[in-house]
Amino acid sequence: MSQPSAALDRVAVAPRARPRRRALRPSRIAAFAFLCVAALLFCVPLYVVVVTSFKSMDEIRLGRTFDLPHVWTLDAWTSAWGQACSGLSCGGVSVGFVNSMWILIPSLVLSIAFAMVTGYAASLWRVKWANGFLFALFICSFVPFQIIMYPLIRATAVLSVYGTTFGVALIHVVLSMPILTLIFRNYFMSIPQELIAAAMIDSGSFWRIFFEIVLPMSGNILIVALILMVTGVWNDFLVGLTFGAQGAQPMTVILNNIALTTTGGNNYATDMAAALMTAAPPLIIYLLLGKFFVQGVTAGAIKG
Amino acid sequence: MTIRWSRLAPQLALSPSVAVTVFVFLGGICWTIYLSFTASRRFPDYTLVGFRQYVRLFKDAAWIVSLENAVIFAIGSLASIAFGFILAALIDKEARGEAVFRTVFLYPLAISLIVTGLIWRWLFNPDLGVENVFHSIGWNWVHFNWLADPSTVMYGIILASVWQSTGFFMALMLSGLKSINVEIWRAAKLDGVPFWRLYLEVVIPMMKLTFLTCLILLCIGVVKAYDIIVAMTNAGPGDASYLPGYFVINAYWQKSNLGYAAAGATIMLLMTFALFFPLALFAAVRRRTEA
Repeated sequence: MSQPSAALDRVAVAPRARPRRRALRPSRIAAFAFLCVAALLFCVPLYVVVVTSFKSMDEIRLGRTFDLPHVWTLDAWTSAWGQACSGLSCGGVSVGFVNSMWILIPSLVLSIAFAMVTGYAASLWRVKWANGFLFALFICSFVPFQIIMYPLIRATAVLSVYGTTFGVALIHVVLSMPILTLIFRNYFMSIPQELIAAAMIDSGSFWRIFFEIVLPMSGNILIVALILMVTGVWNDFLVGLTFGAQGAQPMTVILNNIALTTTGGNNYATDMAAALMTAAPPLIIYLLLGKFFVQGVTAGAIKG
Repeated sequence: MTIRWSRLAPQLALSPSVAVTVFVFLGGICWTIYLSFTASRRFPDYTLVGFRQYVRLFKDAAWIVSLENAVIFAIGSLASIAFGFILAALIDKEARGEAVFRTVFLYPLAISLIVTGLIWRWLFNPDLGVENVFHSIGWNWVHFNWLADPSTVMYGIILASVWQSTGFFMALMLSGLKSINVEIWRAAKLDGVPFWRLYLEVVIPMMKLTFLTCLILLCIGVVKAYDIIVAMTNAGPGDASYLPGYFVINAYWQKSNLGYAAAGATIMLLMTFALFFPLALFAAVRRRTEA
C-alpha cells in the first residue's frame, strides 16, 4: 500500500490526496471488524462441538450450549474411540479409523502413481490423440457417481473385492483418476520444452526421463495431489458406504451409524467426540499445509 | 528402433487410463442408461420397456420434490458465492491477518460433510442447541428448530452448506482478484471512484468467468449432494428434504429398484452436462482468444 512508487509520489502532490486517505480509515476499520465477526461466526460450530465433547451427559441436559464445561471429562472421548455402538457392533470409531487407513494408503499410492504417469505421457510426449483423451477425462471428472454406481458394484463383485478395504481403495483410484491426471498434466505443461527435448535426444527413454528429470521436479505438485487425495478419501462417505459392506466401513460411515444408534440412550458428548476424531486427520493436515490445500481444492475444482 | 520405442512407450503408459475411461466411465454410463430403459427391479432384467421408468419417475412426488429442492438449494447456496466474494474482496484489500482469516474461513472445507451435518444437527437441536440458549434468556420468539419442519428444513441444510462451502468460493475469488491488474486500484484512487462502484462496474464484470465457474460448480455440487442430506435429515421430515443424488441412491438400496434408480441417474447426468456445457464452451472460447 505505502510503497514509495512513482505513481504514489504524484498522488502526494495533489492536495486532496491526504484527507481522502484519512477518510478511508473508518471504512477500513469496519471491514476489519466485519472480517473478525465473520471469523468468529465460522468458529462457533467447532467451538460448540469441542466444548460439548468434554461435558458429561448431565451437564449437557442443562442446555447451556455455549458454556465451558464445569467439570472437564474425557469419558466421551474414550467411549467414542473404543465402545460407542454403531448398530449392533460396539467398537467405537477406532474400527473405522483402521479401515480408513487401510483404504487411504493403497488408494494414495496407486492413484498418484497412476495419474502421474498418465499425465506425464499425455503432456510431455507427443501422442497424437492425447488432447482428445484429456478432454474426455475433463468430462469424466464431472460425471456423477450415481450413473456408474451399479456397473462399479458389479465390477468389484466380479473381481471379488466388493466389501473389502482394497475394493474401496480401487474405486477411489478409478474415480479420482481424471481430475488427478489433469492436475499433473497442467503442472507438467509448465516444464520447459527444451529440457525435455534435450533429454529425449540424450536418452530417449520414457521411464528414465520420468524418474531422472520429471519426478525430482514434481515435489510441490505431489504434495498438492497428496493433500487432495487424503482429504477426499478420508472425508468420503458414499463410496465407503456403497463398497465397504459390513467389514470395510470407513470412519465416516461408522460415525454416521454411531450418531444414528440410540439404543441405551443417546450420549451426545460421545457423538461429538467421535465427530472430532473423524475430522481430525484432514484438519491437522489442513492446518499444517494450508497453502497446498488451497491449491489442491481450487485445482481440483477447475482446470482443463 | 529408438524412435519407434519412444512412440510406443507413452502410448503403452496411457493404455490403462484409456481402458478405465472407456470401460468404466463410458461403458458404465452406457450400461446404466440402457438399464433405465429396461424393467429391471432388484436384478437386471433386460426386457426393454421404453420410457416407462421415466414416466413413473416424473409422476413420483418424491422425485418432483427433489428437483424443487435442488432449485431451492442452488438459489440459497448463492449466498455462499456472494459471501465468499465479499470476504475475498475484504481480505484482498486488508493486509493484516490475511493468513489467519483465510485459514478460519476455509477450515470447514477440510471437514467431512458427515461431520458438518452432525455439528449442525446438534446446533439445530431444539432442547440442547442454539434455540434453547435463546429461549433461556427470554427470547422465546427465536425459532431455530428448522430441521423438524418440512417448510424450513431446506434452509437448515442451506445454512450448513453455506458454512461449509463459503471458504471454497472465497479461495476461488481470491485467486481471481489477485489476477486483476494492480493499475486498476491505483487509477480508481486517482479518479476518486467510490469503492463500491469500482467493484460493481469494473471488478465484478472483469471476474465474470470466475463467477460463472463458481456458479456451475455450485449447481453441479447441488445435483450430486448426498452426504449432507444423510447426516442432517435422511431426506426427512417425511420426504421434505429429498435431493436428486439422494433419491437415486435410495431408489437402488432401499426400494431395490435398479431400473428406476438408473432412470434417475440418467436425468442427473443430463443435468450435469447441461450445466457443464457452458463451462466447457467458455473455456474453449477463452483458450482460442488467448492463443
